[in-house]
Amino acid sequence: MTPHAKKAKQFLADEARTDWHNQTLWIVRKKRDALAAAVPEWETLREKASIIKENVLANLDVYLEQFEAAALKNGVTVLWANDAAAFNQIILDIIQKHEAKNIVKSKSMLTEECGLNHFLHHKGIDVVDTDLGERIIQFRGEAPSHIVLPAIHLKKEEIGETFHEKLGTDKGASDPTYLTRAARKHLREKFLAADVALTGVNFAVAETGTVVVCTNEGNADMGVHAAPVQVHCMGIEKIVPRQEDLGVFTRLLARSATGQPVTTYTSHYGTPKPGGAMYIVIVDNGRSKHLGNPKYVNSLKCLRCGACMNTCPVFRRSGGHSYGYVIPGPIGSILAPQRTDARYTDLPFASSLCGSCSNVCPAKINIHEQLYYWRQDLSEKKQTSFIKRFSMKMTGFVLSSNSRYNFAGNMARKALKYLPHKLIYLPINAWGRGRELPAPPKQSFKQWYKNNRKNKPQ
Amino acid sequence: MSKADILQSISAHKAAFPAAPEIPSEELPAISPEQQLDLFKKSLTTAGAEIVELSEKEIDDYTAANLPGALDFTNPEIKEEYAVAALDKLNKIERALFAGRFGVAENGAVWLEDNNLPQRIIPFITQHLILKLDAKNLCANMQEAYKQIHLNGLGFGVFISGPSKTADIEQSLVYGAHGAKELTVIIAGK
Ligand code: SF4
Repeated sequence: MTPHAKKAKQFLADEARTDWHNQTLWIVRKKRDALAAAVPEWETLREKASIIKENVLANLDVYLEQFEAAALKNGVTVLWANDAAAFNQIILDIIQKHEAKNIVKSKSMLTEECGLNHFLHHKGIDVVDTDLGERIIQFRGEAPSHIVLPAIHLKKEEIGETFHEKLGTDKGASDPTYLTRAARKHLREKFLAADVALTGVNFAVAETGTVVVCTNEGNADMGVHAAPVQVHCMGIEKIVPRQEDLGVFTRLLARSATGQPVTTYTSHYGTPKPGGAMYIVIVDNGRSKHLGNPKYVNSLKCLRCGACMNTCPVFRRSGGHSYGYVIPGPIGSILAPQRTDARYTDLPFASSLCGSCSNVCPAKINIHEQLYYWRQDLSEKKQTSFIKRFSMKMTGFVLSSNSRYNFAGNMARKALKYLPHKLIYLPINAWGRGRELPAPPKQSFKQWYKNNRKNKPQ
Repeated sequence: MSKADILQSISAHKAAFPAAPEIPSEELPAISPEQQLDLFKKSLTTAGAEIVELSEKEIDDYTAANLPGALDFTNPEIKEEYAVAALDKLNKIERALFAGRFGVAENGAVWLEDNNLPQRIIPFITQHLILKLDAKNLCANMQEAYKQIHLNGLGFGVFISGPSKTADIEQSLVYGAHGAKELTVIIAGK
């Protein structure tokens, strides 16, 4: 079994939870559909978003320099990191330079990707994640299972138990309002004491040097405005050329993500607060190399909205943790193999290739096609199992010849009829785990057509 | 020299890319001011805000009666006092009132920026946020909205649509995650 299949099996062991997970994400998908349908120019917007991002990727070096120059003019310190290690070190240096003790962080998939919390923990610095979902999983020592809904794998009773332990809420209490209030109180204290606030970045405007962060909770703003030092962490692909482009992306993002017309807060940070300091850290970590691959470059257009996860029949039934990569689901499965890490080579196969992801993606990324390209590339590089490669070869051999196909079909119908079940469902047959073959028909479609249609008048 | 490395790597790899496409411009369907106001109110209600429509001279009486203790930050004296207040004092604010520059019909968002704010944190740290807005100052959507603001040189600006919210516990919607628990929008000029 592949790592994804193994972990999906663990998730599926709790049938009620799987059903809930599946149905809940489907509700989010339907909310997205309703909001998209209410905007007549929706498809034009997606097209425009895709073209803007294409323009960005084709001029990325120019835009990044323009962005840096504008940010410097705003009194911002701009720092650049080649990779995760350089990024983590930069953050540590900022913390030490300001002799900071209390660090708060709003949602940033980039810091997850770079393992920042883990790195700082080993340096004796504990970062407080302030997004409610992220705080919950941080208390539990887990990773997010979804990029927008990080605690979607948990039930309120489990969260109640965690809060009882960590925040002293009543034993057995699981009311979401009660638990949210307890978190509000706990995190207000953290905000008020914060020395440094870290955030991710949704968009970085090249012409003005502004970074834009979207939240519903207001946690990015509470941290950024309370702490004397604010640090915004962005991947190089977060650039948009002009202020007006934000109009396109802010119309798409929340509608696609949670089925809201916009997030509660769309915050634009330009200059440090009076007496404060503002840093922007620009991170590559493999992205620039990614630019050079025409087959996969489109995945850099991702807005991290999560819509492809909510719609994916595999994600909904296997849970985000089954993917084992920081970004799960369809988009994660085409980003992860770029890492050329053998751990992720099964992910492009964790898909039904139904294409739903590409249809909902606000940046019009051809996600399912890239999944298919990855399958080809990985098979070529022999990074799939021998059994898979051998059976694919045999299938190709059979399907490429008419007579071989007829013969094989005939044999299969006989074999399925007479062979014992155990032999057909040998462990080598990964497909047969959890699936039953239909009863074999007596004749092939070809034979049936010949008898029933061919000689009859139309 | 990370910056040089990154830019060098980008220009080396982007060669595989076709020429940069032009970003097309487009005309959006226009909607009437009445439609905009209706849509704005509907969007705000969905976002969890309370809406009050008043004439300009009714506002003071209304706030005195219904929003006691609200700090009116359109008043220069109050604005000045709070420009230098410490976090502890700001954390005790129950109600804060600001004048929003304009609102966005399609999503109920109201724009606030540095020159409205004695300190940037106040609209978030207050328990109850009140935004006053002239009914004439509405636009249809975010594409129109970005034509009305100037990010160049702007310190901080924010679109606010509704009270702070979360659904991180089993997707149950709860108002008042970290920012204001309540939002009242006063639409002036009835
Ligand atoms: S790939 Fe598209 S749908 Fe998936 S998270 Fe990114 S922008 Fe959203």
